[in-house]
Amino acid sequence: MNTQSSTLTDIDSALQELLDRPWTCIVWDDPVNLMSYVIFVFQKLFGFSKERANELMLLVHHEGRAVVASGGREEMERYVQQLHEHGLWATLQRDDQI
Amino acid sequence: MSNFERNGGAFSLDLTLDEAHILINLVEQLLELFGEGDFFHHYDESDPFAQLMSMQHEVVTPDDPVLLRLLPNAYADPEAASDFRRFTEGAIRASKQRVLHEVRAHLAILVDQEQAGTVSDLEANTWLMALNDLRLALSVRLEIDEASFELFESLPDEDPQKSIYAVYYWLGWLQGNLLHLL
Repeated sequence: MNTQSSTLTDIDSALQELLDRPWTCIVWDDPVNLMSYVIFVFQKLFGFSKERANELMLLVHHEGRAVVASGGREEMERYVQQLHEHGLWATLQRDDQI
Repeated sequence: MSNFERNGGAFSLDLTLDEAHILINLVEQLLELFGEGDFFHHYDESDPFAQLMSMQHEVVTPDDPVLLRLLPNAYADPEAASDFRRFTEGAIRASKQRVLHEVRAHLAILVDQEQAGTVSDLEANTWLMALNDLRLALSVRLEIDEASFELFESLPDEDPQKSIYAVYYWLGWLQGNLLHLL
């Protein structure tokens, strides 16, 4: 067995895993945005049901933040942009959980 | 107090002249903070309300805490945040300025006629976004947190800050009222 190519394969798969790791869009709690407005924005941007939007809003409120979407980086950037346009405090980062 | 009303798919808002003045002042000050000044102003700098808001418009910098709240960093990493800003901030600003201009145009009809009246055929989405940004801007100036409402209620009526808090909570009430109708 060729040790070198095995190492390369390891690096390759580690890289691939890194590339495949999804990005997450996170919404942070703030004391200003009305709960009903946050629900409205979640429904509008993500197409969530009222129940799902309410659930996520409460998660943001109680935990201080919540992941509202995950996927490719460009897609998450578009969500963050739209959330900022609506005045919600949102960031994106790579998913911590592999 | 003024209310949004819904008639089928159309929304309207009755405003007193004072309310229309307060709203258009805030909208114009926020537009200025976004670096716009090329429109007729319905307030002047001697307006005590404009001074209280202290939305300084001589310098437009991302260091301004109101702008930072309206255009927050998208990444914890400064380099990624700066890249994101370079590619998206123009579009986010344009969106915010568009809704503010639309709301301003509605309000200007009342204010220019110097009379109370109805803003009719308003776009709920536009007004929700504009009201939200006005609230966010005021919240930074007022340092709003969970304890603020209690503070507001305890302020004596003659405290000049009290009227700003009153406007902030009124905007929240208006926004909630419109959301309720959707």
